[in-house]
Amino acid sequence: MWLRSWIIFSVIISAALIVLFVGFLANASLPFFADYGLSPIIGSEWYPYEDLYGFLPALLGSAWAILIALAIALPCGLATAIVSVELLPQRYQSAVNLCIDILAGIPSVVYGLLGIALLLPWLESNLDLLSGHSLLAAGLLLSVMILPTITRLSQDALHDIDISYREAANNLGLNWSQQLISVLLPQAWPSIRSASLLATGRGLGETIAVMLVVGSIDRIPEPWYNLLAPAQTITSRIGREMGEASVGSSQWSALMACGLVLTLAVTLLSLIAHTPHKRMAHG
Amino acid sequence: MANRVNKIVLCLLALPALLVPLLCLSYLLMRGLPGLDSSFFGLSTLEQNRDGASLSNQHGIVPQIVGSVLLSALACSIAMPLALGLSLFHQLYAGRHSRSFMAHILTTFQSIPPLVYGLCGLVVFVHLLKWGISLAAGAIVLAMIVLPVLTLNTIHALERIPLALTESARSLGMSAGQIIWHVWRPKAWRSLLTGLFLALARTLSETAPILFTATVFSGVIWPDSLLSPVTSLQTHIFYLAQEAVDERILAHAWSSALILVTLVIMFSVIAHFLNRHSAKQ
Repeated sequence: MWLRSWIIFSVIISAALIVLFVGFLANASLPFFADYGLSPIIGSEWYPYEDLYGFLPALLGSAWAILIALAIALPCGLATAIVSVELLPQRYQSAVNLCIDILAGIPSVVYGLLGIALLLPWLESNLDLLSGHSLLAAGLLLSVMILPTITRLSQDALHDIDISYREAANNLGLNWSQQLISVLLPQAWPSIRSASLLATGRGLGETIAVMLVVGSIDRIPEPWYNLLAPAQTITSRIGREMGEASVGSSQWSALMACGLVLTLAVTLLSLIAHTPHKRMAHG
Repeated sequence: MANRVNKIVLCLLALPALLVPLLCLSYLLMRGLPGLDSSFFGLSTLEQNRDGASLSNQHGIVPQIVGSVLLSALACSIAMPLALGLSLFHQLYAGRHSRSFMAHILTTFQSIPPLVYGLCGLVVFVHLLKWGISLAAGAIVLAMIVLPVLTLNTIHALERIPLALTESARSLGMSAGQIIWHVWRPKAWRSLLTGLFLALARTLSETAPILFTATVFSGVIWPDSLLSPVTSLQTHIFYLAQEAVDERILAHAWSSALILVTLVIMFSVIAHFLNRHSAKQ
């Protein structure tokens, strides 16, 4: 009897938490959309003291940061997975896994600290910048943080390929590169696609490390592809301003609206990533 | 020939994943180790007034460590029973449709950024329920963050138990409670503990969600109730990193970071060993 009541209790509590979460996030950000409409999403000015709430600088910042991160982490993560699964003998694989585990285990605030101590001075001296705080720094830091996700999921994808494909490729006399490019990668591709979508979601939601190196200046970079200027991402804006916004003010609900936009984007990515897609025709 | 070139290119691309963690760890040790003296832990009675006011605290870093561990432990002790209940519901009562619905909900909530959970906790617990910035608010927010991961992990652990065992237990006339205790528990406890330790490591490394809901920089040494704010290692490092000009403050931040990483890695290693033993069984 106690077993059943405990199970029912935990189901009810968890359902309540989900409803609470969605309800209050919507409830806290709706006043903003009611007052300002949807136009702030493409507005380019964010000055809370003048009631200007444009999301565009932060949206652009988040997009740039994650693009830089993916451009680095995707090739590196995929290569690490291929090397560890296809090239290295079994006993070295655990060493690679240990490195990946360490990378995943370092807390984001420590990455932030490393970014401040190593990355920013390095960027300043090499690129001759006034301050290293930039989208480039945020993107580089994010690339390290999403690397474990991409590597692990790609490793799983390669492990999951049916042995018969490898045997068939061998029997056809394909060499190593041909096997990789025309058999293994196409088979693993759906999982690799999901991996990069999940990593994108993770990177978009990363807060503390990005906040410490991005500079938190609410402007669209001049010109818009300038990655070396201080900028802002959605998460760093929420993190910077949430502490000072007074409860119920328009700035408060604007920040909640930022949170809602972020949640919607990440949820969409996760839905696409987890949608089962047609396996390639076996033939 | 082309084969060899391809392999070399791949190895070069894979190098960062192997070098960066080693570089990070060795740099962390290099900067953090010198600061780990007895005054850092508040053990020596040497007065250190030349430190900034925020650092001269006779307890050293101990209150921050206690705060972090307390938050993690509370969060996991809230989330673990719920995760067990949910996964038992998944195994015992849920039909095929509600199973896949549960899996979808759990993976979706797993991907929502921790910062957003923090926002939600700020609205509900800190302001609506008027708990203020408190240990309880932070613990519940962290519990919400690990609940999906913990539940998915528990479900996987239960699913790995061979169906034949459960069915023969059922045909012997055992009740659900007896099956759980006598058949499932001995098979699954290692995997459950693995999940628990991973969840502890995860809650220890989250900073953003507790920044507004649970922690303050100074003014508190020991929390005296669930509704009192705490200090934590993660947010301590964050505040110090923002003041990254003074070399002494930075040294303090590095030592704190070393302690934090040691704690996280310790929990992950315990989880890893439990998992290895469960794989051998």
